[in-house]
Amino acid sequence: MLRSKRSEYTTAAILMAPFVVIYGLLFVYPTIKMAQLSLTDAPLIGAGKWVGLDNYYRLASDRLFSVAVWNTVYFVILSVVPSTLVAMLVALGVNRLKGWTQSVVLAAFFLPYILPVSVVFRIWSWMFDKDFGIAQNAVQLFNNGQHLSIFRTIPLFMPAVAFVTVWWLLGFNVLLFIAGLRNISTEIYEAAGLDGASRWAQFTRITWPLVWPVTVLVFTINLILQLKIFDQVYLFANGGRVGATMVMVQFIFTEAFQMNKGGLAAAASVVLFVLIVVLSVVQFQLLRARGAR
Amino acid sequence: MSAVAAKNGEAAAPHVELRRVTKRYGPVTAISDLSLTVDKGSFTALLGPSGCGKSTLLRMIAGLEPITAGQCFIDNLDVTDVPPAQRRIAMVFQSYALYPHMTVRQNIAFSLSVAGQPKKVQNERALEVARILQLEPYLDRRPAELSGGQRQRVAIGRALVRKPEVFLFDEPLSNLDAKLRVQMRLELAKLHADLGTTMIYVTHDQTEAMTLADKIVVLDKGVISQVGSPLELYNAPANKFVAAFIGSPSMNFFPVDIAAINGRTASVVLPGGRTVEIGIAAGAGARSAELGVRPEHLTVVDPKDPAAAFAGAVAIIERLGNSTILYIETAVGQLIVEGEGDLDAKSGQTVGLRLNQSHARLFGATGATL
Repeated sequence: MLRSKRSEYTTAAILMAPFVVIYGLLFVYPTIKMAQLSLTDAPLIGAGKWVGLDNYYRLASDRLFSVAVWNTVYFVILSVVPSTLVAMLVALGVNRLKGWTQSVVLAAFFLPYILPVSVVFRIWSWMFDKDFGIAQNAVQLFNNGQHLSIFRTIPLFMPAVAFVTVWWLLGFNVLLFIAGLRNISTEIYEAAGLDGASRWAQFTRITWPLVWPVTVLVFTINLILQLKIFDQVYLFANGGRVGATMVMVQFIFTEAFQMNKGGLAAAASVVLFVLIVVLSVVQFQLLRARGAR
Repeated sequence: MSAVAAKNGEAAAPHVELRRVTKRYGPVTAISDLSLTVDKGSFTALLGPSGCGKSTLLRMIAGLEPITAGQCFIDNLDVTDVPPAQRRIAMVFQSYALYPHMTVRQNIAFSLSVAGQPKKVQNERALEVARILQLEPYLDRRPAELSGGQRQRVAIGRALVRKPEVFLFDEPLSNLDAKLRVQMRLELAKLHADLGTTMIYVTHDQTEAMTLADKIVVLDKGVISQVGSPLELYNAPANKFVAAFIGSPSMNFFPVDIAAINGRTASVVLPGGRTVEIGIAAGAGARSAELGVRPEHLTVVDPKDPAAAFAGAVAIIERLGNSTILYIETAVGQLIVEGEGDLDAKSGQTVGLRLNQSHARLFGATGATL
């Protein structure tokens, strides 16, 4: 079918326009405004005076901010790597099941993912409750038979929240891995078996390289998600020493909405934005390059 | 007996043997109580329509499918419970099943690599195989960058490098276009002539089976219908299923009455009243049967010709150049006739048909040849 170039362009423009308008209005414009705001001493609402890079200098010497950055990075390390690895292991197991058992097990793993964070918080604060939490039976084993308030023990706080987060989001990651594993035909494994490859060799030589792109994807999605960690930390830390468990988004929230420091919060947001872009692009490129070797 | 075995003056020895094997999937029986021997160095085709159990049979020989009952022998060794990798067999899959993330070289050398052979040996052997299959220019490409025919060759190369005693092919040419299929068929025939290895080849394409195999096993619903050389199956089918499956265009069938049986000949009344004598080997006492005649054993004659057994109207003419296929509407239904390339006929014309009765066959009520 022959159609004029012009009418094709018009159609394309019409189809793209709603997205471009919404993206520009709700993402590009606010991002630019935020960057501008970060160079002023504006409160949350209303204009401020131009202060150049002052806010950034202040962040660099702010103890609370450096704690927030460290906690965020620490949480990412504690949650992203395990959630990728555990999801792969679970997916490998689930993939070997057949028929309705596979559906049931997959559904069971996916179920926590549909829970809102408030419910997840309730479940696990009960599970770990110092007085009646069922998980205290396990905690006792490592604490000389004593109960321990996990979320009020600072060194245990981040690992515990990371554990809950891995549990919460596991189903989605498993689903991505299952999709990747199903793309590998059984005949390839049969061929490898005929070629003399053991179970382990089949995993390292066939499965692992072929699900590598999915691994990179899961890792990247989780990295971006966990750098923006806020809700779980906020809920579990409520009533405790909030400063010690502060994460970046929480810092931004506190500065902007509780301290009324719009400019400083905007500067912290820009730092987080740059951190996410740089980290995700760098790791994606690195991991992909390794896979393409 | 294979050409190679004949050349070496050896007697054909059984190489692969299935003894009374049965395969059940839950309540479904795919193969029931089947026995089969494949001679050393032979090219045996397992032929049948889809769902007849031919691929299952091959996978049982490969060890990819557990055998429900019965035994499988390779070289007189019971391999029923031996894992696939230790059966000294290699298999080429319909989908090729190449490792998509590896180059052609790595695909071919994979079995050597997992066996811990040194890199140098892997390279030499891969190169050697690639030379035989004309894959040298593609050694560093990945399967996605190859054409269908090249992928097929890599799959064969992966089998070849292991120096197997038995090659198993599962419909290896069905994903190729018609021209390439003919070409690969020739290459496979050449490979078999060069290597002299036992090859077992699953196909639903009777042309492939007829051209490649020295022995064809026709399967129907998990049971062997007939085993024989291509011409045996063509000229002396054991039953109606084999008669109908082998040959293209397919054999014509129509019901006839048997007037009398006299030793090894039956007097058969054709539609229209004419009686012809047809040779039989069994079926004493039968009153009716189905007559089968191949398209090339019907000849178009003038309807008034005294030799015309019956008459009909030409419905469709297919001119293939070297032959002409006529579809003729007769009192017994549509018959297919194959004639000379320059056969003089027009659509709608009434023609007489002469029956070459020495090539006609009678099939009894069970489908078995009389």
